[in-house]
Amino acid sequence: MTHTGVGASLPRKEDDRFLHGRGRYLADIEMPRMLDVAFVRSPLAHAEIVGIDKPEEAGERVFTARDMDGVAPIRPTSNVAGHRIVGSPPMALTRVRFVGEIIAACLAPNRAQAEDLAEQVVPDLKELPVVASIDAAMAEGAPLVHADWGTNLSMETRFDSGIEEQVARATVQVTRTLDMARQAMVPLEGKGALAHYDARDGQLVVYSSTQSPHMIRNALCQCLGLQQRQVRVVAPDVGGGFGYKAILHPEEVIVAWLALRLKRPVRWLEDRFEHLTAGANARQHRYRMTAHADDRGRILALDAVLTTDAGAYSIWPHTNGFDAIQASGILTGPYDIGGYRVRTMTVATNKPPLSPYRAVARPGACFAMETLVDAVARAVGRDPVDVRLENLVPAAAMPYKAITGKEYDSGDYPASLRRTRALVDAVSADPGPDRLIGTGYAVYTEHTAVSTATISQIGVQMMPGFEQAAALMQPDGSLEIRVGVQSHGQGMETTLAQIASEVLGIDPHRVSVRHGDTALSPYSTGTYASRAVVMTGGAVAAAADKLAFKLREIAAHMMQCTADDVRLEAGELVGPGASMTIEEAAVIWHFRPFDLPEELLRDGLEVTGGYRPDGDRAPFAYAAHAARVAVDPELGTVEVLDYVAVDDCGTRVNPMIVDGQVLGGVAQGIGTALFEEVPFDDQGQPLATTFGDYSVPAASEIPMIRLDHMETRSPYTRFGVKGVGEGGAIAPPAAVVNAINDALRSTGAELCAVPATPRRVLQAIFDAEDRAAGKKEAAR
Amino acid sequence: MTTLSLTVNGEPVRSEIDPRLSLADFLRENLALKGTHLGCEHGACGACTVVVDDMPMRSCITLAASCEGVRVTTVEGFDDDPVVTRLRQAFRDEHALQCGYCTPGMLATARDIVLRHDRPDVEQIRAELAGCICRCTGYRGIVRAIAHVIETKSQATEAKAGTT
Repeated sequence: MTHTGVGASLPRKEDDRFLHGRGRYLADIEMPRMLDVAFVRSPLAHAEIVGIDKPEEAGERVFTARDMDGVAPIRPTSNVAGHRIVGSPPMALTRVRFVGEIIAACLAPNRAQAEDLAEQVVPDLKELPVVASIDAAMAEGAPLVHADWGTNLSMETRFDSGIEEQVARATVQVTRTLDMARQAMVPLEGKGALAHYDARDGQLVVYSSTQSPHMIRNALCQCLGLQQRQVRVVAPDVGGGFGYKAILHPEEVIVAWLALRLKRPVRWLEDRFEHLTAGANARQHRYRMTAHADDRGRILALDAVLTTDAGAYSIWPHTNGFDAIQASGILTGPYDIGGYRVRTMTVATNKPPLSPYRAVARPGACFAMETLVDAVARAVGRDPVDVRLENLVPAAAMPYKAITGKEYDSGDYPASLRRTRALVDAVSADPGPDRLIGTGYAVYTEHTAVSTATISQIGVQMMPGFEQAAALMQPDGSLEIRVGVQSHGQGMETTLAQIASEVLGIDPHRVSVRHGDTALSPYSTGTYASRAVVMTGGAVAAAADKLAFKLREIAAHMMQCTADDVRLEAGELVGPGASMTIEEAAVIWHFRPFDLPEELLRDGLEVTGGYRPDGDRAPFAYAAHAARVAVDPELGTVEVLDYVAVDDCGTRVNPMIVDGQVLGGVAQGIGTALFEEVPFDDQGQPLATTFGDYSVPAASEIPMIRLDHMETRSPYTRFGVKGVGEGGAIAPPAAVVNAINDALRSTGAELCAVPATPRRVLQAIFDAEDRAAGKKEAAR
Repeated sequence: MTTLSLTVNGEPVRSEIDPRLSLADFLRENLALKGTHLGCEHGACGACTVVVDDMPMRSCITLAASCEGVRVTTVEGFDDDPVVTRLRQAFRDEHALQCGYCTPGMLATARDIVLRHDRPDVEQIRAELAGCICRCTGYRGIVRAIAHVIETKSQATEAKAGTT
């Protein structure tokens, strides 16, 4: 048998069904007597609900918050001192705080009829003053999103390592204000949920397009007052998640409640308009950064203020403070910086809640740090790559304790940057006439597979530092793996089978991976934070280890030797004088129990393995990226001509799938860099409501990205793996903007915000022209 | 209600439909062909693309009532299609899909690109895919898969030409 374990680029087991249209997504599930829901949503960003007019014949077809008496509000938790969090009812009761907040649920046999009904429900709203930006929310005497807070500042944190000594030594100060816009996450399949009550099992069964079935069950039980055994959450095939489907959506609670109330199946499918306007948004960070450096651009201290525009409510379970906490913990990035001071402010506004999107706060943090490094390089007149090489944590310093307290486990950051530069330099690009060409770099390090310790500090209702997996050997020696994480594009049906194959030597085509169903699998917090291959991969290996030991014991008994004498090699149990296959051992246990002693029969060939990285420590994946862009200084348009990423995610279980994760992440990052934005007007009205105004990059905008890999094993994880799901999305905003600024160097323009739309690029050029004119004027 | 007669995946279909019904909803709800996916319902993402009389069309913005007498092929109807058979293998080899949601629309679009081009020009393929959103793959695998099928098609044609 060819190698099918860790390191093999095995074609994906899941591809066949998708290529034949046989996937089963949420909208594909139908049930007898099912009703579809259309929601009546607030057209105003801040208003008091005076009344709700329903059509007279609405009866048990239109429901409002008043009907949901007894349902507990969605209430995330936080340990951060002074963190103001409100519990939000799934439907607005007396007040709406963003456009799109749910006011009523309307039911009909299909969505079109439900929307007809929704049109007849008219909320009577009394307008209240709106705060739709950080500046508006933090202004003196600003209207309050939550009146009882007395402020719009939901959370504030400070960290100061002491920077006075470094500041005193510094000869160069560079300060920038950097903005990352609010964007939508846009999994191609919208969010959705279908709930029904199974009277036989006494269970509320909720099909949810989710990344985290057990977490959704936790939340539903809290809101609905049910025991966990009374709820089953199933994630069918999920058409992309990216964090949007790792949070609880109020619609899930409403649909579940309706199914219990009506005792019939109820379904909600998010449409694109709902996603772009009412769905939780992401990003929207503002950084005020000062680097204190020496004449060579060696950064001695970083002084930062980070403000997030966090929307009206806290999402569950991460809270609205997750972005700020994560950004402040990783802002110094891959650099060896001696002094660090940061203040974060999480600001409530009349907009949808802020939610973690692929790589959460790291794209913003990387954008801020890496554009600042380029600004430092310009200030000292050196090449930005050379300045980076001088500031990066050297390989010899690993494991490295960063000033933030984080321990970077392994890797060679400078080598990844050097390799990236060599790859970029090897290919020349012709921008054509009238366009300016530039190259930009960015390096990041990423805390993947977040540990229990990290999350327990902030008190969020999610403990990510461990996972479990069940391995059930079938009577014929085929294997079923059951895991609580959910695979929605990551190819875990393949990679987890490869891990079982690595340990047991079993052919992955004799392994099924079942996932995303609380009724099938051990408890899990789900798929997020680039954790699945580390945590669940480790758990599958642990379960396979247990199984291997049992199989060796059976073989040893049959071969009349000890288990220590039996080796497991390529699916064969090899003893001193004989061997048998795994299949034969499985058959003996199931069908020839009389051949085995009592102690080998008692526990079967169905085991659960648990895993957490050694000492609860997390691996750090990292990468260097480079973009080469062409900028049209007349139109402000930017084309990415070439993009290179050299990443290190430790051991790659399936290199083909790793490439796919990086490529997809980079494409999303280019979207953040150049195209994607949900703007709001000053009344909190969302201005991007279709794919006509919200631009998701297509193949025409994404170059043929070039990849290379380094492979430094993490010392703390099974097989030395580090997570890779998010990393690709981290560096592109920084690399692309650095490339644009490099292209514009002759104009003196410097862009400090993403997405770098033509309007922003042109504005940067005009500003530079104004500065130059002002200088000339002053000189005269 | 209005009466609609058409051919879907080679089978004649006759149905009473609501005049406002889209072709996508007709395929999914009336015929239970769930392989056609909805990504935006305003004709921008391409996930719902099906083949109507040999042309790729967005079924979400096509009214079912306008499809009288046409031949519709969905992802479920491509099993005897030689181009899609090769595309499926190429998509597998090039890791041109992750979550699978855009895949049926991508295949319908890719088939059309393959049929219209004899040279595997990456820039042209990228431009022609501009109306199809994939949120997972970064497109490289999709572009490579289409280029590969065009290339092997050209080779097959050249080989054939050489023998005659």
